[in-house]
Amino acid sequence: MKKISIYKPSTVDQAIQILSQHGTSAAVYAGGTDLLIRLKNRLEQAPSYLVDIKKIDHLRYIKEDAQGGVEIGAATKLAELADSRLLQEKYPMLVEAVNKISSPELRNASTLGGDLLQEVWCQYLRGGYSCWRNGGYLCYGAIGDNSYYHSAMGGRLCYAVYPGDAATALIPFDARAKLATPQGVKELSIEQLVPGDLMVDGRIQSHVVRFNEILTSVVIPPPMPGVRASFEKLRPRGVWDFAMASLAIRLQLREKTIEDARVVFGGIAGRPLRETVVETFLKGKTLSSELGEQAISVALVNAAPLKYNATKIDMAKGLLASGLARLSA
Amino acid sequence: MRNLDGILLEPVGCLAEFPAEPFHEIARRLLGRRGKLSASGSRCYWHLLKRVGEFSPQTLAEALEIEAVNAAALYEDAVPALAELKAMGIHLSIASSLSGAAITCFLEKHSLGGFFTDVWHRDNAGGVQAVPLIRALCGASLQPENVMFLTDTVEGIKVARSAGVHPVLMMNDPDEARRLAMRSPSGGVVSLHEIPDFIRLVAAQNRTGQLDG
Repeated sequence: MKKISIYKPSTVDQAIQILSQHGTSAAVYAGGTDLLIRLKNRLEQAPSYLVDIKKIDHLRYIKEDAQGGVEIGAATKLAELADSRLLQEKYPMLVEAVNKISSPELRNASTLGGDLLQEVWCQYLRGGYSCWRNGGYLCYGAIGDNSYYHSAMGGRLCYAVYPGDAATALIPFDARAKLATPQGVKELSIEQLVPGDLMVDGRIQSHVVRFNEILTSVVIPPPMPGVRASFEKLRPRGVWDFAMASLAIRLQLREKTIEDARVVFGGIAGRPLRETVVETFLKGKTLSSELGEQAISVALVNAAPLKYNATKIDMAKGLLASGLARLSA
Repeated sequence: MRNLDGILLEPVGCLAEFPAEPFHEIARRLLGRRGKLSASGSRCYWHLLKRVGEFSPQTLAEALEIEAVNAAALYEDAVPALAELKAMGIHLSIASSLSGAAITCFLEKHSLGGFFTDVWHRDNAGGVQAVPLIRALCGASLQPENVMFLTDTVEGIKVARSAGVHPVLMMNDPDEARRLAMRSPSGGVVSLHEIPDFIRLVAAQNRTGQLDG
């Protein structure tokens, strides 16, 4: 592992100052379940300076806001989300999703911010191949084994899928992220936070957070009456693995009529993929056990699987059918 | 990698999918070769270039190459990618070992002539393989280390290296691309629409490197 220096700032402002000073050679360190592995894997883009934000007050909390929504500090452990009565009561689908992230041990260490902003888990990147995210100019996933962790919806330079489950589950609730930046607080939707492969500060990354910015919290609007939501995930192993395909779905119902819908697929594209075509299709329909079969006929029509991962599209469509069936029960 | 400001393009395998059959025909009728060279049009083409001096009559070779051009399928992202690259101010040159007649036919058929600052082929370059690349570099006063050559064959990688430019893989066939990736190309793209991002990323990395450094 390369030699690293660790800073332990006590405020967000101090942390931003340190990050600004070191440029892209510094990174925020909280749970460490992604960052430390990148260091162990000796990745080209792994930082030399870690800015440990664990001791900063006001980054680890789950609290109800004045409007009846919930704000979650970015350094809150995933296990704390999974155990939260407040979240269970207001957004049970989010808790269901968090419980399907990784393993209990890792959820005890991983933070919400870390899950949202984690690096992709392409085996070629993590294996030290000189790919787009590791100092090179070629995607080995596009030409190698892309059965599990690569996009079936096309790509742009890097074909790895966005691996986080929390973002997939938060988007249906129209959750927003707050970032501390040198210019002040910036607020983005979760979709805007993780738009997939893009160039930020000369690097390919899945999120828009710049080298001198810190994700501080996630705000979820108050739950609406008549909402049903579900999270489904298929992975190569029963536990402790990333999604080959996942689906977060939220329906706003009046009686059995769908008034509004959010449909977000995970594990199949470089970003959590909001499928607006299906959302539009569902609006005005009556929720029934047969609706899923109709919905899959309009879903993911722009699929562009790689050589070995066409099955992901079938899986995702299967999740859509089963998710809708589950909500109609 | 230094900032890239020029791209040399060989239409065969980089702008269009060429069928193998016309190249088999050249091998059969002009070189007396039996059997097929390869199922890939690109590989057949590059293989034949080693013996282009033996083509006789040249007019028949030209006619068969034009047949190949007419049967070639332009990649659907070629025009938007070329348009974006041109708008970015990237110098685009054709540097091909096809005959002048075949290149003219290719550019006219797909209305691509306007994208290229210069067009080099084996007739005006006076040779094949690295010769059109070197003529293109000299003609436009491009520094080789600022230029990429797109290719989908091992011969193309070698030719790019011999001209001093960056060989960048067009990863048309994943299995072949995996083999070619072992030859340490400077990079690789799945689709032409990634080339503008490739160039922007290199430029952004160089800018960030200056800031960090």
